[in-house]
Amino acid sequence: MKINQLYSGFLLALTLALSSCHDSLLNPTPESVLTSTNYYKTAKDMDLAVLGIYNRLQSRKPGDYLLMEVPGDNLYMSANTSVAGAPEIDLLALNSDNPIVADFWENTYNGIFRANSVLANIETPTDYRGTQKDQFIGEAKFMRALFYFDLVRIFGGVPKVTSLLSIDAASTLPRASEEEIYALIVDDLKDAIAKLPVQSAMARGRASKGAATGLLAKAYVYRKDWANAKTYLDQMATFNYSLLPNFASLWTLENEDNAEVLFAVKYIDGTNGQNLSTAFIPNAGAINIVNRGAEVALPSWSLMKNYVEGDTRYASTVTQFWVPPTKPTDPPIWYPFVSKYAVKHTFESSGLDLPVMRYADVLLLKAETLYELNQPEAALTELNKVRARAFGNTTHNYKLTDIASRDAFVDKLLLERQLEFAYENERWFDLTRTGKLTTVMTKEERLFNYSTKTPVTVQLNPKAYMKAFPVPQRQINQSAPGILTQNEGY
Amino acid sequence: MKTVMHTCQRLLCVLVLLGCCSALSWGAASPPVRNNRLLEWQISGKVTSEKGETLPGVTVILKGSSLGTSTDATGNYFLKVPETAGTLVFSSVGTVTKEVPFSGAGVINVALNDDAKALEEVVVVGYGTVKKSSVTAAVSKIENKILNEIPAGRAETALVGRLAGVNVSQTRSSPGSAPLIRIRGAGSIDAGNEPLVVIDGFPGGSLGQINMNDVESIEVLKDASSSAIYGSRAAGGVIIVTTKRGKTGKPRFNFNAYYGFSKARLHNDWLSTEDYYNYAVKYQNREYSWIGGDASIPVWGDARRPAQYQVSDTVRRSASTIWQNEVTQVAPIQSYNLSIGGGNDNVKYYVSGVVLTEQGTVKNTDYNQYGVRANLDVKVSPVVSLGFLLNPTYATRRIAPTDMVSLVKYPNFVAEQRPDGTYPKARDYWGQNVTSQANPMAILDGTFINAYSLNNVGELFVALDLMEGLRFKSSVGTNISYNTNERFQASYATNNGITNGSASDSRSINLINENVLSYNKTFGGVHDFSGLLGASYQRNTSRNAYMAAVAGSYNNDIIHTLNNAIIDPASTATTKSEWGLISYFSRVNYGYKEKYLLSASVRADGSSRFGPANKWGYFPSASVAWRVSQEEFLKNSPAINELKLRASYGATGNFNIGDFDYLGRISSVFYAPNGVLTKGQVQSSFGNNNLSWEKTRGYDFGVELGILKNRLNITVDYYDKRTTDLLYNVSIPAITGFTSSISNVGDIRNKGIEFEIQSKNLTGGLKWQTSFNLARNRNKVVDLGGVQERITTDTYGMSWILRLGEPMFSYYGYKAIGVLQNAEQVKSTPVLVGSKPGNPIYEDINKDGKIDSQDKVILGNFQPKLFLGMVNTFSWKAFDLSLAMQASLGAKIYNFENQFYQGNTLGAMRRSLVENQWWSEQEPGDGKTPASALSQLNFQGASDVYIEDGSFLAVRNINLGYTLPGVLVQKLRLGSCRVYASANNLVFVTSKSFHGYNPEGYTSGEIAGVGSRPGYNSGSEPVNRVVTFGLNLSF
Repeated sequence: MKINQLYSGFLLALTLALSSCHDSLLNPTPESVLTSTNYYKTAKDMDLAVLGIYNRLQSRKPGDYLLMEVPGDNLYMSANTSVAGAPEIDLLALNSDNPIVADFWENTYNGIFRANSVLANIETPTDYRGTQKDQFIGEAKFMRALFYFDLVRIFGGVPKVTSLLSIDAASTLPRASEEEIYALIVDDLKDAIAKLPVQSAMARGRASKGAATGLLAKAYVYRKDWANAKTYLDQMATFNYSLLPNFASLWTLENEDNAEVLFAVKYIDGTNGQNLSTAFIPNAGAINIVNRGAEVALPSWSLMKNYVEGDTRYASTVTQFWVPPTKPTDPPIWYPFVSKYAVKHTFESSGLDLPVMRYADVLLLKAETLYELNQPEAALTELNKVRARAFGNTTHNYKLTDIASRDAFVDKLLLERQLEFAYENERWFDLTRTGKLTTVMTKEERLFNYSTKTPVTVQLNPKAYMKAFPVPQRQINQSAPGILTQNEGY
Repeated sequence: MKTVMHTCQRLLCVLVLLGCCSALSWGAASPPVRNNRLLEWQISGKVTSEKGETLPGVTVILKGSSLGTSTDATGNYFLKVPETAGTLVFSSVGTVTKEVPFSGAGVINVALNDDAKALEEVVVVGYGTVKKSSVTAAVSKIENKILNEIPAGRAETALVGRLAGVNVSQTRSSPGSAPLIRIRGAGSIDAGNEPLVVIDGFPGGSLGQINMNDVESIEVLKDASSSAIYGSRAAGGVIIVTTKRGKTGKPRFNFNAYYGFSKARLHNDWLSTEDYYNYAVKYQNREYSWIGGDASIPVWGDARRPAQYQVSDTVRRSASTIWQNEVTQVAPIQSYNLSIGGGNDNVKYYVSGVVLTEQGTVKNTDYNQYGVRANLDVKVSPVVSLGFLLNPTYATRRIAPTDMVSLVKYPNFVAEQRPDGTYPKARDYWGQNVTSQANPMAILDGTFINAYSLNNVGELFVALDLMEGLRFKSSVGTNISYNTNERFQASYATNNGITNGSASDSRSINLINENVLSYNKTFGGVHDFSGLLGASYQRNTSRNAYMAAVAGSYNNDIIHTLNNAIIDPASTATTKSEWGLISYFSRVNYGYKEKYLLSASVRADGSSRFGPANKWGYFPSASVAWRVSQEEFLKNSPAINELKLRASYGATGNFNIGDFDYLGRISSVFYAPNGVLTKGQVQSSFGNNNLSWEKTRGYDFGVELGILKNRLNITVDYYDKRTTDLLYNVSIPAITGFTSSISNVGDIRNKGIEFEIQSKNLTGGLKWQTSFNLARNRNKVVDLGGVQERITTDTYGMSWILRLGEPMFSYYGYKAIGVLQNAEQVKSTPVLVGSKPGNPIYEDINKDGKIDSQDKVILGNFQPKLFLGMVNTFSWKAFDLSLAMQASLGAKIYNFENQFYQGNTLGAMRRSLVENQWWSEQEPGDGKTPASALSQLNFQGASDVYIEDGSFLAVRNINLGYTLPGVLVQKLRLGSCRVYASANNLVFVTSKSFHGYNPEGYTSGEIAGVGSRPGYNSGSEPVNRVVTFGLNLSF
């Protein structure tokens, strides 16, 4: 019996010893994971969190063309690489299940969440140096405004989120009106302008006072608030931005941080690259660019035919004749592909920066604003600055007689914007905001047969309601019944 | 805990050393042969059963010594003993041990009585064993008779088709790849459906670690009541593996070896040169016509035809390579296993070693396994016994870099290799239109993906028999694994011509302490009572290190390690994680006159993976059984020998999510301010402090019937289990910043029926036994947390849907009802926007005159509707034959692979996939097969065009053995010797419409989160026919 007592004692001791490690077993400290409870404590944390906002744009931006160029007349989907949902966008047959539209909504609101996280926690750290805190607020607000600008242009009014939401609060938040969203954009950008340093005091690839000013002007143009637009466009003159003399040099790795860029998303080849450079390259690659392309989409003849002899932008936008890299001595064949982003790069990880706004945009917005403010001559000057740069001389400059009527001016302006900003995600919005969608998009000329000189023409059926894309059905389903309303027509 | 681990490791080392030393000294101490040896008596004889059948393998020992032998295949034995009177002890499984005294040399024939008690099969359940007749729950058992002779790299393969309700499917058949095991269907969306594997009491092992030769038996706890004792992780069912342990007697050596070859089941309808060219022309003409081109323009050398629509003459003039045949091979497989078991009343041991190597039928793939096992049992005193187990295994794999598609779709005008050893690409022959992929042989030869895993399960236990029936057992177990993965791709093996490589190391240390107090007693001869109380503490720590080269930065293709490249900082890191689990459990079994049986258990589990308030989960179970056959009115029934009715209910849990998922995580992301790679940080998940256990509650009703003197045994089970509080990434409004949050939401139901029939058809000279099983499971989504459905759509539009009332992850898309024949029909028929002649006509479900997402319907499901398995065993004289068959009915596979063989980028084509297509209005095919081309995938990817029937019938294994006659064996001084031939998948019948290599095969994984695409196949590897010849020796 004695021995049994011994065992019992041992048993008891063992049980006790083990129960003392209860806590360490059930509540281990995560060694490799930061959590929301121990983050946002220092100025350094905030700096990293601000970089996190840019990261969302950095990852979304290369795919934006699927929503912003594919529906328009610059680009059509190739059969080589399919993207779920893109064919419907290409054929203007969108519905509310479209995965690209749904992803865009989700990614953009994630970016807004990241900005809101910074703004919600900005008061916590106490170790800000100098104007650091203002800078972070300015950057977060600039990025939030940019995200909302994309949302409002794609969907119209969307839920206005400026704080961190619980699931319950989110599911009962209805859409704000387009006006309310623009008001938020304007407020955010004004605050950003006040708080952000100029570009020379900021790292490249981060927001600056000039970028915020330009974006605000653009937002006013979209609102057709010409007076305010002019105010901010005029302010742009104070920031030392200028057109590069040579359009082609905008699209080179050596010259990324140039004087024309207001704001660009930066990339690093191989380690932090974008896949847009690969997306348009023919499947078999292109010599001195990349050994293999994704050939997701190809340039439409509707765009190509608009470039006239002498326009240097053509060669920097589309390569018409292609030589297979495996057969470099073969004669070039007619195989047009978009080459605006075709720099030498690692497959799907290009280092070429993607501009969000260039000074050429400021000039064309100014031309538009001035024309609408009844200053056609001043408008013409701005328009011709862009045109003269494209041709390397003034021989193709427009004259006042070319823009005698407002329609003529809008046509010239839209054409110039199409040629200048092809594949920079401007075309679709230019068509929708000017109401040209239903007239321009009735057909799209795609592959051009070089031998017979005839394009393949696709008939489309554009409707006015298509200016806004459908609110993703899965978001409508997530909200309380009746809260998130669908756009007209879907 | 750390120190415990250290001590433990040290202890293990010491024990290993001791083991080695004793082995050495053993060899050295064997007594030299002496001339003046004692005189010996020679005793021989024959051992038979009650009925006079010869009994092979009976242990014969001289009592009080280590002298002994065992009977041969004909029941004869021969033993030399010292010249003193003594007693021989005859023992064998299933018989009553008999002692026979002797006082001189001579013949002693013995008949052993059947041991009624011992004959009664024992079933291993969680933390104990029960007599089979007393089982109150749905438990299936399989004993290792010839499982170790089934030629396969992984142990699971041997279980295919043998157990009702246990579906083992080989979705990938590359060497060493783990099959999928589903017990009674899948109930979880995000937290996994793998069964818990318990090896010799250690929960959380892997069947990949097991050497089948060491396995004594495998039990599967299928219903929630039997598995609830493993509460926390048992929702996917429990597989209990029991390994062999030493038995009293002189050392018994077993040597098992097999060697053989496997050959892939391949397609035989690839188009060769001229046919291939003709279809390439048809394909291009069709493409050209679609854009309005004139197909009568010559296909080559005419500038009027755009390059995209031409067909190079090279295609006709070059090689004719059927790539499928180039990338596959007849591959050897071999396994060698030696085990020694034995011991005396106080110390028993079982030691074994195995070497298994398997080459893949796809070139440059293999799997090798090396393992050692030592099981030791020591009885220190009548009270104290110890057990020790050590099982290190080392496995290496070379993994194919791509699935089959990229290897076999290559156009056939490309030669396998140039005379100078380089690999031509399709684009070297023709600059456009054909694939820009690298040569398949270059991919196989130039890609090195190797996985190495070193694994050790070690366990030490002390058991105290405190008083009669009362036992305390405490054990410390470790499962330590180190995994290394290396990857290198030479420049010539990549499509884009740049090298890449990566390496990762991970280690995981799983430490468990379990303490069980059990009590067993029969009161008054009629009340059988047993109970147990236990506590278990488990911790797992893991560390990962991974790094990758900057693509293209390797200096050359010779050195594959990362010192030859520039490390990419964005994909290099180390991480650590851990989880802990505390459990308390108890079970009570009560039986009255072995007639009324009752069992109840409860387990409480606390897991570190859940929110602070909800770490603990409680998992009760109860089951009852009535052995009607024990009642007076049936007891002497000539017809019914056994009739048992049972009912059970139980709850089990699931915690297979990330270690700290309940926290809102902050993760690193990258950005490049000023062009400098910089880390940023973002919150990457929505925290959920209330996160708790996923629970599965299930009922099971069973009937067990034995008739015709138990020659026919039938078991029927009906079950209904519901998984609730799903650990599920429930959708949340994206305006929160996230699209999903892991929550306890949702409800999935699985119900089904299972039959098992065991029949002894013939029992005379020719013995024939059949075991048959059938299982049907119906899976249904009951609740998704407020939404009606969730849809995942892949690139070409096929959707997988979770919809209330339907099986999880059903295919969702358009239903094809014909083919558009011409432009007029396109205009007059509701079609997808942009449809052309040749595209499918889809059913306009809502009759609104257009085809859009409103017209999508459920098109089937990857889960089979019915499983059938049958094993027949025959024995006649010295021959034995076993035949295992399996059938699976009703599974649908989305065979997207087909589209690659239909002319896509003018690659390899299969006759059965091109000949019935719509090629033009004049050549409309069979009217059912649409025009399939890369450019048309958007018009048919989202439909049932590529959905095929994955039903099949297979003879999974045939094993024919011959046991050498006793005389010959004795001459060779062996105990017994059996030779056999074994073959896997000799007969394999699939549905006529099925075009894949493996009807169970799919490449995008099974259910693993809401974005799963189970059943999506883009080139699962072929099923292999394996023929081996083997040898079992014992001495």
